[in-house]
Amino acid sequence: MTADGPRSDDAEPKSAPITTLGSWEGDGVTVAQIAAALSELRRHEQRAAVRTSVLTLVAVVRDPEIVDVTIDTVRELGARHPSRTLVLVVADTDDDPGIDAIVSVHSLRDQGPTVCFEDVVLRVRGPARWHLDSLIEPFTLPDLPVAVWLPNRLPSPGDPLLRTADRLVVDTRAIGDQPDSLAQVARLLRRLPVTDLSWVRIAPWRSLLAGLFEGHASRPFLDHVTRVEVAGHYGPRHLLAGWLMATLELTRAHVHIEEAEHVSIHISAEHEGRVGRFAVARPAAERVIHSSVEIDDGPTIDQTWRLRARWPSRSLADALTRMGDDPVYRRALRGALELVS
Amino acid sequence: MSDTNPLTEAVGDKVAPPAVLVVFGASGDLTSRKLMPAVERLALRRLLPAGFSVVGVARTEMADDDFRERMRVAVEKLGGGGDEAGPVWAAFTGGFRYVAGDYGSPETFDQLKSVLDQLDRERGTSGNRLYYLATPPATFPVIVSGLAEHGLNRPTTDGAFVRIVIEKPYGHDEQSARDLDAEVHAGFAEDQVYRIDHYLGKETVQNVLALRFANTIFEPIWNRRYVDHVQITVAEELGVGHRGSFYEKAGALRDIVQNHVMQVLALTLMEPPATFDADGIRDEKVKALKAVDVMSVDEVAEHVVRAQYTAGWVGGEEVPGYRDAVGVDPHSQTETYMAMRLKVDNWRWAGVPFYVRTGKRLPKRVTEVAMEFHRPPHLAFNERQAIGLAPDALVLRIQPDEGITLRFGAKVPGQEFQVRSVSMDFFYGAAFLEETPEAYERLLLDALVGDQTLFIRSDEVEQAWQIVDPILRAWADETAPLARYEAGGWGPAEADQLLARDGRQWRKP
Repeated sequence: MTADGPRSDDAEPKSAPITTLGSWEGDGVTVAQIAAALSELRRHEQRAAVRTSVLTLVAVVRDPEIVDVTIDTVRELGARHPSRTLVLVVADTDDDPGIDAIVSVHSLRDQGPTVCFEDVVLRVRGPARWHLDSLIEPFTLPDLPVAVWLPNRLPSPGDPLLRTADRLVVDTRAIGDQPDSLAQVARLLRRLPVTDLSWVRIAPWRSLLAGLFEGHASRPFLDHVTRVEVAGHYGPRHLLAGWLMATLELTRAHVHIEEAEHVSIHISAEHEGRVGRFAVARPAAERVIHSSVEIDDGPTIDQTWRLRARWPSRSLADALTRMGDDPVYRRALRGALELVS
Repeated sequence: MSDTNPLTEAVGDKVAPPAVLVVFGASGDLTSRKLMPAVERLALRRLLPAGFSVVGVARTEMADDDFRERMRVAVEKLGGGGDEAGPVWAAFTGGFRYVAGDYGSPETFDQLKSVLDQLDRERGTSGNRLYYLATPPATFPVIVSGLAEHGLNRPTTDGAFVRIVIEKPYGHDEQSARDLDAEVHAGFAEDQVYRIDHYLGKETVQNVLALRFANTIFEPIWNRRYVDHVQITVAEELGVGHRGSFYEKAGALRDIVQNHVMQVLALTLMEPPATFDADGIRDEKVKALKAVDVMSVDEVAEHVVRAQYTAGWVGGEEVPGYRDAVGVDPHSQTETYMAMRLKVDNWRWAGVPFYVRTGKRLPKRVTEVAMEFHRPPHLAFNERQAIGLAPDALVLRIQPDEGITLRFGAKVPGQEFQVRSVSMDFFYGAAFLEETPEAYERLLLDALVGDQTLFIRSDEVEQAWQIVDPILRAWADETAPLARYEAGGWGPAEADQLLARDGRQWRKP
């Protein structure tokens, strides 16, 4: 067991002025010991620091390959979205049962007041891995929602995690082309609010596409769509196509999807004998999106839009900012299910 | 066909419809410093649709490309632009046009009309127009009548909109504000007029509404039964800089009190609106301002203090007095500070004084509304035990460090029983670290989507002038007292006496 005093965090010294005020680690420890260490670290945090938490975030990782990236992501998120974060790294073994813990308290000083946030990383082996809810409860902040993030998988229907979660965060793109994955998300949605990071990430495409149909010149074409083509990865492309199919009341015959590295949407429509072509696409390797409108005997407009600077936790931060139910996602998922059925 | 676009449902922030933003005063400072950076940020946040266009109008001769370049330089100066924004800006400014001409000349409006028609055809802007008057107030009537005479003040197609944004000042007294309104209304109906006060675009000003009307713990104590008095402070550490000649005609009362302070006051005083829409909120604000007792000219000396700063030290820097500033009369009687006591005649606030102060060259920049509560009716402790106990207070900090402070009494740890005041701070920026839109960005988008909630209605302007007018009339008398205060201090002794007479004192924000 070690106890460190204040030290600088080397992880991101330039982009975010995060200081690790203290950390504690121990192998084969109990929850009570971890909780005591956390309280002790909090008592020693800078007196001027402000603590204004809005949620407890729990990340559950079973894949050893994504442990580091998950921890980096939640730490980056802490600097932008004050929360307590619990990362549960679950080893799929009954050998050497026990819990190893690393607890860290960080502060961030940007332009305003200093903000404190903390993370607890627990490596869980043995039977406790089937009772993760019992490890989460002792660390949740009172009265605040608990969001459970599963970076690349879905929980089984009987997973005890679902009992502690007020919101589940998943990523259909990261899950990939698994049998029945979209249907499983739909079933989970009946039990609790689910945020799909793939849906959050395609918001720019949706808003740009919607913007193309604003105004009298192009709005009427939306009622006469003849063909929709959506390209992208498994997950996002289904959601986009499903959203268009359900919202515009199209049939499957109108909608065509294909695998591609980047998202693109092309819509053709006919109104009063004129053809309108509407497109939103990201060219390979560029962080911009092109949008275009071409209407026979009407306006032709090309626009280029910059994608926001990417940081890994951006979509997670966006997902946690808007906590309400999203009926449009439900509809998109219904459409997506129809497309894969 | 339904008018609404089904694809816009729940896509996040509202997106502006295709429209042309016509900026009068396009070569001026406001356009470069505020409007264009706001347009760029909206574009980068993808809140402006394809086809959105900007037409600059000003007297300076310029080609379209020169205008685009000028706007690009302006945006870059303020930290925008850059390599990443390059291709975006190039595509985006394809819809930028420039019209050079005198505002009084019919040719200017003929040319504008033809540019607008061309943009409608080429970029699908559908006849939607937002005129922005970033020009001196004297030009407002000329521009409005020019637009009206050329039929540019009304939509020419079904479902299109034509709106006009007007910058403050709205007149220089009640009568001139009424005259200006009459001139604007000759060309535009009230629901087309968007009077902008950038204070209302600030997140934290809007947060006053959230704090009051989204919580049940504050509203029950937001009245005369619990509140002893209210202090509103709008302090600036800056002097008049190069705005001396402008400020000579304005003064603190016209520059800050008639608009920003009255808006903050109205949000503090108002009753909960029945609906959270433009008229629901603005009706309540007008009612609140109507409840403010309009003092007579004779009462001004008793309730209002005006003052001017002399040389002093601010933030470790020696600064000259107001009368030594460029463009200022060495014998100037213009106030750079004012403090006043307002009385509110309604059920909620009867008997609660509202103390307002604003000034330049005060120790720091701060805007806040502070409510000080009554002391407990009986204090069980002896005097010695409660030495450090001040009345409870709730402070809404609007800028900087936006947030809320609650001051209450707590026991000092130890054997002895001693009570002392402690402050619990909530920092808005510490709870929500998301980027918040700049005030102009927010308001420009609101005007484009037709949301008038954060714009000032004509009866609000009139009501605010009614409160301020007697003070202006009293100060028109050259012999009215003008106190002096040292730059870097919290104002003149006379302002302290204003509260001391009521047994109170100013907070130190």
